[in-house]
Amino acid sequence: MNNLAKFTIGIFFTLGMAWLAFVVGARSQFGDLVPTSEVLDDDGLVPEDAELFPVAISGMAKQGAEEYAALGCVTCHTQQVRRVEAGFDVERGWGKRPSAPRDYVLQEHVLLGNSRIGPDLANVGLRNYSDEWLHQHLFEPQSIFPSSLCPPSPFLYQQIDEPVITDIKIVSNEVTKETRYVRPTVRANRLVAYLQALKQDYELPEVSFVETEDVSVEEEDVVSTDVSTVSVSAPKWLQDQIDTGKEIYMKASPGGGMCFACHQQNGEGLAGQFPPLAGSDWVLGSKERLIKISMYGLMGEIEVNGVKYNNVMAPPGIPPGSLTDDQIANVLTYIRNDWGNSASAVSAEEVATVRASLKGRAPMQMFTSAELTTPIQ
Amino acid sequence: MSDDSKQIGNLPNDKGFSDEDIVKSHVELSKTKHEPTANFLLAPLVFVFVFGCLIFVCSIQLSHSTNSFQLHPPVEIVELSAEEKESLRLDRKISSGEKIFAARCASCHQTNGLGIEGQFPPLAGSEWVSADSAVIANVILKGLKGEIMVKGKKYGTSAAVNMAAVPITDREIANVSTYVRQAWGNDSTEVFEDEVSRLRDESSDRQDQWIGSELRKMFSDSFSQ
Amino acid sequence: MPADSPDKVIDRSAKLVFSFFLSSAGLWLLTAALLAYVAAAKLTDPFFLASYEFLTYGKIKVAQANAFVYGWGGNSIFAVSLWILARLSQAEVRGSVFLVVAGVIWNLAITFGLLGIMDGHMSGHEMLEMPTEVWPAMLISYLIITFLALVIHRSRQVRETIAPQWFILAALLWFPALFLIAWNGLEINPARGTLQTVLSMWYGQSLVWLWLTPVALGAAYYLIPAILGRTIDKYYLAIFGFWCIAALAPWSVVHHLEGGPVPMWIPAVGTVMSIAMVFPIAVASTNFHATAFLDIGKVWDSLPLRFVIFGTLSYTVSSYIGVVFSLPAVAKITQFTIINEFHFNQRVYGFFSMIIFGAVYFALPRITGREIPKAAKSFHFWTSTLGVLMLLLAYLIGGLTHGVLAGQPSLPWSSSVIQSIQPYFLITKFAFIILAFSQFVFVVNVWRVIFPNPFVYFSANNKEASV
Repeated sequence: MNNLAKFTIGIFFTLGMAWLAFVVGARSQFGDLVPTSEVLDDDGLVPEDAELFPVAISGMAKQGAEEYAALGCVTCHTQQVRRVEAGFDVERGWGKRPSAPRDYVLQEHVLLGNSRIGPDLANVGLRNYSDEWLHQHLFEPQSIFPSSLCPPSPFLYQQIDEPVITDIKIVSNEVTKETRYVRPTVRANRLVAYLQALKQDYELPEVSFVETEDVSVEEEDVVSTDVSTVSVSAPKWLQDQIDTGKEIYMKASPGGGMCFACHQQNGEGLAGQFPPLAGSDWVLGSKERLIKISMYGLMGEIEVNGVKYNNVMAPPGIPPGSLTDDQIANVLTYIRNDWGNSASAVSAEEVATVRASLKGRAPMQMFTSAELTTPIQ
Repeated sequence: MSDDSKQIGNLPNDKGFSDEDIVKSHVELSKTKHEPTANFLLAPLVFVFVFGCLIFVCSIQLSHSTNSFQLHPPVEIVELSAEEKESLRLDRKISSGEKIFAARCASCHQTNGLGIEGQFPPLAGSEWVSADSAVIANVILKGLKGEIMVKGKKYGTSAAVNMAAVPITDREIANVSTYVRQAWGNDSTEVFEDEVSRLRDESSDRQDQWIGSELRKMFSDSFSQ
Repeated sequence: MPADSPDKVIDRSAKLVFSFFLSSAGLWLLTAALLAYVAAAKLTDPFFLASYEFLTYGKIKVAQANAFVYGWGGNSIFAVSLWILARLSQAEVRGSVFLVVAGVIWNLAITFGLLGIMDGHMSGHEMLEMPTEVWPAMLISYLIITFLALVIHRSRQVRETIAPQWFILAALLWFPALFLIAWNGLEINPARGTLQTVLSMWYGQSLVWLWLTPVALGAAYYLIPAILGRTIDKYYLAIFGFWCIAALAPWSVVHHLEGGPVPMWIPAVGTVMSIAMVFPIAVASTNFHATAFLDIGKVWDSLPLRFVIFGTLSYTVSSYIGVVFSLPAVAKITQFTIINEFHFNQRVYGFFSMIIFGAVYFALPRITGREIPKAAKSFHFWTSTLGVLMLLLAYLIGGLTHGVLAGQPSLPWSSSVIQSIQPYFLITKFAFIILAFSQFVFVVNVWRVIFPNPFVYFSANNKEASV
């Protein structure tokens, strides 16, 4: 103890032992994990052509990770599902399985976190939150969860007086029921892309999904608040129209529209094949054009939100082209008011007017894209 | 011990130690050996005992919870027989096919495989599906156009299958075909990846979609009806 | 209190350095107090200052921890350890200019680091959130200060060393080693995956155990005999306690990863070593309390010692609670809850800061020759005690509530779990107000003694330096 050199060697030796274990040892044990397939073949190898997990997140989401780190979200949110015997995480529905070291190997900054004033976010992308919902939550969490302690981030949004359809509607849950529209900045969009990309929805050879009895806790929580936001904002006649429209949208038997078959239940369409309805400039634009398509269908190359599609849309309805004025009004009102869309309703009278104007047109004669490229409203 | 410290510690200076005294008296303390006593010194014994207990508890805890210093948490290892392995492989193939189907086919042919009458032909119970496995694989590879009869009804007046727009691998085709051929009561043979690869090579020159009648002629033996 | 003549010479040599580090530590303490209040206020009202991006809760919380540990902790460690080393070595502080320059660099680095955090350049690694650009400046200035501290130690009059010297020297030497390891593993040669977390967790927690803790223990080992005028009881245990901390603490800190996506042995080893930490904790508390309780009246009479004993008691209690909370069965409930805040604040306020306050109140009159009014010190003691106890109880009870409710999956998160701990956040807000007030009193006490007349100070000091 009296010789400084020996003392120094001593204290560095004790520190060095822990360093050897936690830094050198741990690094050699799992510092070079690579993505792998969900299951290995009989020889314990990754099958050829198998999809590899984890998957690298997109560029946008990657930028979002930096925003997440910079804003200090990690101070209150973890991104790890603990092993079943070590905590309630799986029970709470925060993940289908415990997180494994391999889940994080492609992340530049691993933000496991150590505090949960907010819920775990390792699987936030699996909770079926729409982008709009996440935007609303980022802008003002209290408009969704009144008792949330999550700080609002108004600086990521532009407040808008004359909203267009892609803007996010915020209805404060306070007594005032004040309604505001905000436009996400590019940073907010990055952050949402990142959150949507957070998911551990694959199995790994070392960890499988855990069977649980009830994982619907978190969803209940969300759905109820989501619905309440909508019901606050929509009057009854509109809600009726939306509800009936949704039935038609989803119905695959005579009298239905079966729209979901191509445009999907979530209104997102299919990349490269069927254009989205959610946030679509066509859906939120001219009503007349929408009505025309709903009666006669559409073919040829069109551009939706800057993306080109070239497919054929048979006249909707079962049998094709059979939708009535009422049905068209309802289903169009529905698609203009779900998945974060929010545009004016379509009335049966409007449909009737358009139908009258197309009197001479042969039944089932699909519109071509050229016919419809009138200036967008 | 307190005797010791009194001897050295209670210096005349009532206001406390000077620093020199602190150093010297403590250095002195660490040098003094305990004088032999008649009885045991209780404190060190208790310490040794507690220390022993702790080491015991710690080593039990270590052996229980370190998982033998393995990287991954313990997984139950099940030894499978050859048949079980085979059925597991097929299960995985089919569940992969189910995912592909849901993502890429179900919008028209529907999750229940019944299609939409008059627009999209059914796959459940379809003679086109139960025909030679090359039929379905070819259709997915290049698409299909023209009028066809499926289960006694006419289809093909409007949009046609064209998967070429979005690339799909041979393995995916094999998986999804196998799924379609074994789902909804269908009971046809598995489709293999190398078979699809062969078909892809064979049809690599073809630009257009297949025409229904053409395929039907090529594999007429296998159309049961 | 008149000291011996050599002590006086030493004190005079330490005056500039001590005053500089202490007054900047005071500023950091107030900065941290302000940030702590803002953070606490944001937890009671999320809309508080919500429109300022540089003041998000995540940033403020991190900035507060950094200001506290590196700003207040770092500067006060430099002040106290340089002075104690000088006194125990009976050697003058040399290279004051270099020390002050290094101190200025250190403080600038932290200032820019905190600004960087608020500007959105946070790294997300525990206790290393400051942007990497300032890391070299921190390391270099730290090494200069450590080097000059070693110079003091090398010129000691008595070759043999005693407990306070071991603890302080070890702390001074451990920090750069930890820092370099973390820097290498996170930036220079970055680890992939959760290895990063293992490393940053190890660094962040070791910082408390191997830097703040030993300095405070060293100061207590010095102050208790110096004020009481008696040697440390069962002093022969001290060396055992020291090596136990040295050997066990760096292993024990990773138990926080229990259940996480790392190999199971890492938290398991951490837990086991935490249990073993019972020993060094028992040694330190035996040494301190057996000595103090031999003369408890004197402890009560001497304010510096009152602070120190509060700190050592707090150390004992908090460390034992820490051991209990590291057991897997308990960690299942307490992990990720605001019990973390309890641990952190217990260590940095209840233990480290209290002992440093005691050390400052002991050293400052000797160095400057001016006494701080007893009433002011006493007021500081009682407000600190009240604030710390309020804070810790709120975090402890709140944390247990947090953990128990979170463990019931049927309870929705924000409307049930978080809502039930909100009252505790309100209490912590008031506790932080009390603490801020108390720290303000401390800083005023210190500054009034250091700069009784700011305009005269510098000229007077220059004269002394030239003698």
